[in-house]
Amino acid sequence: MRSEGEVNRAIERHADTVRRLCMIHLKNYADAEDIFQTVFLKYVLSSISFESQEHERAWMIRVTVNACKDLLKSFYRSRTVSLEELVDWPAEASADHREVLEAVLSLPKKYRVVVYLHYYEGYTAPEIGRILRKNTNTVYTLLNRSRQMLKKKLEGLNDE
Amino acid sequence: MNDKWKEAFGEIHAEEELKESTRRFLAQKTGNYRKYHGWDYKRLVPVVASMVIFLAGLGGYRVYFKPVSVISIDVNPSLELGVNRFDRVVSVEGFNEDGRKLADSVNVKYAEYTDALEQILSNESVREILGQDEVVTIDVVGEDERECGRILSNIEHCTSGHRNTYCGSSNLEEVEAAHEIGLSYGKYRAYLELRELDPDVVPEDIQGMTMREIRDLIQRLSGNASEEIPEDGSPGMHGGGCRGGHHGGGHH
Repeated sequence: MRSEGEVNRAIERHADTVRRLCMIHLKNYADAEDIFQTVFLKYVLSSISFESQEHERAWMIRVTVNACKDLLKSFYRSRTVSLEELVDWPAEASADHREVLEAVLSLPKKYRVVVYLHYYEGYTAPEIGRILRKNTNTVYTLLNRSRQMLKKKLEGLNDE
Repeated sequence: MNDKWKEAFGEIHAEEELKESTRRFLAQKTGNYRKYHGWDYKRLVPVVASMVIFLAGLGGYRVYFKPVSVISIDVNPSLELGVNRFDRVVSVEGFNEDGRKLADSVNVKYAEYTDALEQILSNESVREILGQDEVVTIDVVGEDERECGRILSNIEHCTSGHRNTYCGSSNLEEVEAAHEIGLSYGKYRAYLELRELDPDVVPEDIQGMTMREIRDLIQRLSGNASEEIPEDGSPGMHGGGCRGGHHGGGHH
């Protein structure tokens, strides 16, 4: 089991990333709280020795994405949260950025995380493939399609 | 566009309240980071493996270096060889000045006891003493009668070419007081025999005597003063011990 100091340092380093991934996948704060507890408890109990901070970050991303998927699969959650709650998420963002975030969040789920990892975290398609356990070509396809979809959405917004 | 996305996502931060509630949850789940210490078996594996190897090594070391029998060799130099269960000499101890000199002059540690015995009996100073018609007694002492019998049999075989050599075996219980009074097991056995004939005899009396002198004294006191130790017969050693309570082996 990891020490309290080790865990606090990991929370400081990765909380924002975990939070953004929660925002991409989930619909409310209570779910994000569940994910935080699940992810960091796994971290506390894990005996993995990370080779670098990058290695640790990739582990955090994979565990968070999996935890989000597991939560979404739950029968109760999938039927009790309204779609409207989704637009509450980027409330903390400024008006300028709100439209970008809303455009990303309006994408189908499988595109959102790829867009986030590529455009914000700066991972390449092969790296995203390794983290999400997806074929690299699949990642390229997802990125291309999401780029086209986002272009349309943002152009539409600019036209308004 | 890339910068815009970066800035947009960069504005999303984990709330302090969220981090704090996560910390509280983890502290509670882990009993303030103590609860799971005893159950992390994976981390215990190398520790347990090291302990097993250490204990096996320690056990092996103790078995190897523990003498299970002692071969007491007495002429006037008195010497004892500790023999382990693998028939190897693990200790060499002289019980008087001559014995200590002899112990220093031979290199028999870790040798098989038969080779060690051969080396000691072939030692120049021992051969010189034996050439003066002295006798050498070899007493095998141990707790296991069968083991003593086996060693005695091998010793008798390997000393068959040496003159004036008398072999026997004793049970450890009978001679365990020997070292307390500064005598080797072999000499202590002779002392017990002598004391039966003369209750006034004290260990100091025989400490400096050769085995030939002791045997001559025993024979004088037992009324057989004229009887010489036969060179080809029984040495007259007796008493309980290994080999079914019979002491006294062969004389060559």
